[in-house]
Amino acid sequence: MILRLTGLACVLCALSWTPVRAQDVATVSGSIQSDMLFPQSDADIGAIKDGDFNTNTYVDVLMQSRHVDGGFRMEYMDHPLPGFENDFKGLGLSNAWLKFKMGDNHLTVGSFYEQFGSGFILRTYEERSLGIDNSLFGGRLVVKPVKGVTMKVLSGLQRRYWSMSEGVVTGADGEVNIDEWVSGMQKHDMRLSIGGSWVNKYEKDEDIFPVGDLSHRYNLPKFVNAWDARINLNKGPWGVLAEYAHKSQDPSFDNQFSYRDGHVAMLSTSYSKKGLSVLLQAKRSENMSFRSQRNMNGTSAFINHLPAFTLDHTYALAALYPYATQLAKGEWAYQAELGYNFKRKTALGGKYGMNMKLNYSYVRAIQSAWLKWGSDSYYQDLNVQLTRRLTKDFKLSVMYMNQRYNKTVIEGEGGMIHSNIFVADGMFQIAPKTKLRGELQYLQTKQDQGDWMFGLLELSLAPHWMITVSDMWNHGNSDMEAYDENTHYHYYQGLITYNVKSHRIQLGYGRTRAGYNCSGGVCRYVPATKGVTLSYNYNF
Amino acid sequence: MKKFFCILALISLFVACDHIAEGDELIRVKQQPAQRVVLLEDFTGQRCINCPLGSEVIEQLQEVYGDTVVAVGIHGGPLGFKGNAKNVGLATDLGDEYYNHWNLEYQPVGLINRHGVVNYTDWAKAVKEELAKTAAIDLKASAALKDGSIYIAIEAVGKDGTVSGKLQIWVLEDGITAMQMMPDGSTNREYVHNHVFRTAVNGTWGEDFTINEGETKKLSHQQTVDPTWNTANLSIVAFVYNDNGVEQAVKIEVISGPEGLSE
Repeated sequence: MILRLTGLACVLCALSWTPVRAQDVATVSGSIQSDMLFPQSDADIGAIKDGDFNTNTYVDVLMQSRHVDGGFRMEYMDHPLPGFENDFKGLGLSNAWLKFKMGDNHLTVGSFYEQFGSGFILRTYEERSLGIDNSLFGGRLVVKPVKGVTMKVLSGLQRRYWSMSEGVVTGADGEVNIDEWVSGMQKHDMRLSIGGSWVNKYEKDEDIFPVGDLSHRYNLPKFVNAWDARINLNKGPWGVLAEYAHKSQDPSFDNQFSYRDGHVAMLSTSYSKKGLSVLLQAKRSENMSFRSQRNMNGTSAFINHLPAFTLDHTYALAALYPYATQLAKGEWAYQAELGYNFKRKTALGGKYGMNMKLNYSYVRAIQSAWLKWGSDSYYQDLNVQLTRRLTKDFKLSVMYMNQRYNKTVIEGEGGMIHSNIFVADGMFQIAPKTKLRGELQYLQTKQDQGDWMFGLLELSLAPHWMITVSDMWNHGNSDMEAYDENTHYHYYQGLITYNVKSHRIQLGYGRTRAGYNCSGGVCRYVPATKGVTLSYNYNF
Repeated sequence: MKKFFCILALISLFVACDHIAEGDELIRVKQQPAQRVVLLEDFTGQRCINCPLGSEVIEQLQEVYGDTVVAVGIHGGPLGFKGNAKNVGLATDLGDEYYNHWNLEYQPVGLINRHGVVNYTDWAKAVKEELAKTAAIDLKASAALKDGSIYIAIEAVGKDGTVSGKLQIWVLEDGITAMQMMPDGSTNREYVHNHVFRTAVNGTWGEDFTINEGETKKLSHQQTVDPTWNTANLSIVAFVYNDNGVEQAVKIEVISGPEGLSE
């Protein structure tokens, strides 16, 4: 309610502001996104019809001028798409802000998003597919007092769907680009920056009782402090980023009210030049779930975000078992990536050249001893992808992936799933404006629901039309320890997409399986659905 | 630049550090006497690894507050298990219906006197708050097993104003040994499940019920025993609820023979 009233005041203020000089003429831009479902029940796949119509609809408006920017977002989720948390439901003015600019300095009042460093202790962001908008509502000041120095200070309450979270979040961040001071570094193509951040959460005391002990309640810290230090060095094709963060005692639902401090350390190195790229990363995190409401679960009220060290796959079967970062449990995570272009007119490159991508990620439990591994593997993904144009009109991409997915750790039950996934993706250029793309995928596993197949055909008629049909079939036998019966169902889907100017409309019909939708290591459970889908996007 | 540091200094006045020394993590609290019976509906599942933690909270509550905390383990939802040729399942279609009706999102989760959805870590707090309230009606029940049926008698007495709502009667079973996923990820095939919801005696949502202050109402019901139930471990839970939540609840063991109806 506070947000709505204050936000409305901000919007009115922004609308009533009148430019007085020619160069101060305000521009208005924005976007509309509406995803709709006309649901149907389907007992086989467990799809439940929740009303006749579901939609998540967003309208963003941004006004920009020389000294003041302003914006707001209206959201309509009164009958939301399935699978979002209950409190996601609602409608109204969700975000509103004004930004006052003076040179390189600016002050934001209202809703804002911010990230300190890699986000270890503060990252507020919007991810609509997951229903996440953990923006802060308050004030933020960003100043650049001298060349190469950026300082930020902020304080606010965190948005939690249609209310505010209980904790007050306050923080400061400073970053110095040393290469801007040392001319010798610039001459040698060297960039060096160091940064530091601090975040404080205040949350009032409350009665929370330990499991199995009603005669005591937890003595909860009202203030939780976190700090972060980082250094980033780049020279020519080489890059190194090292970052460390620490969080003070933060007993919460996520860490089962542990009073241990939280830590995360990351080292990331990269090499990139034409035709070759290498990335090596390692991260150890422990007890780093940091929310503005200590007794919250689900995907809301997170103040921080740990970057995922696993690949977000786009192929349907490769994304069937996606990894979710274990913030509270902690993890050792490693990632290595190699990209190489085989040149044209070589034995492996052929007439048109070939691109190879090799990615390996491994996530494992931690021990209290810093450098030792825990006993459980959480996730492993080894995948190699080759893309090569075979003829002038035909391009083929093939992928093999070997995956180990600890379903018990990630989803709560199910044991270790070991799978082999094969993908072939071919694209024919039928005519100058006509393309046909086809995918064949196969997932082999002896665990969980057994083997899966997937096929897709996509016809593109540039510049307006795209027609897609696909089917995913679970033809393997399910593990009878975990499932009541086999789930030999087809998940078919048909989509027609029409683009014109800044408008995009997509009409579809089909089934989607129940499962996890993940982005950057954050996951949302999406129940099975069936029905007609309609999406509309417009930018103005 | 000076202004920036002034703002930073100002902010630092409002924030502070808290460090709880080892051994000071817990604060002793006084137990308050119960003023009424509280119904705790535990939405649970055999494939839910944290659900045994919820059961642990219930055991502790019942140890401290005895019969004034009536718990019902409703198996269902995505982590419920209905059983197959190899394993006994405790989830029911009714359990799923209740799970979906309350729009629940995870397990274990509970309803405490039907005042909203409560995390299992907050059950103790919510139960204590409810126990401190007074009830507008008194409920008594008796249940006897005879010729394959349970004969149930309910007696309600109005204590404060007129109460309207629904009277719901459920059958529970204790001591069922069946598979349960445990918090460490293991599977316990010898897990003993207590207060397991078996069926609703008088419809999914109960029957209409109204009582005035000073009035006494008596109702009776009969429930056929399912052959899979262990008749030695059955009990009956009856409660009156409306938009204000659960007005009162009672739990009684099912006694073999007609003496069960004598209470």
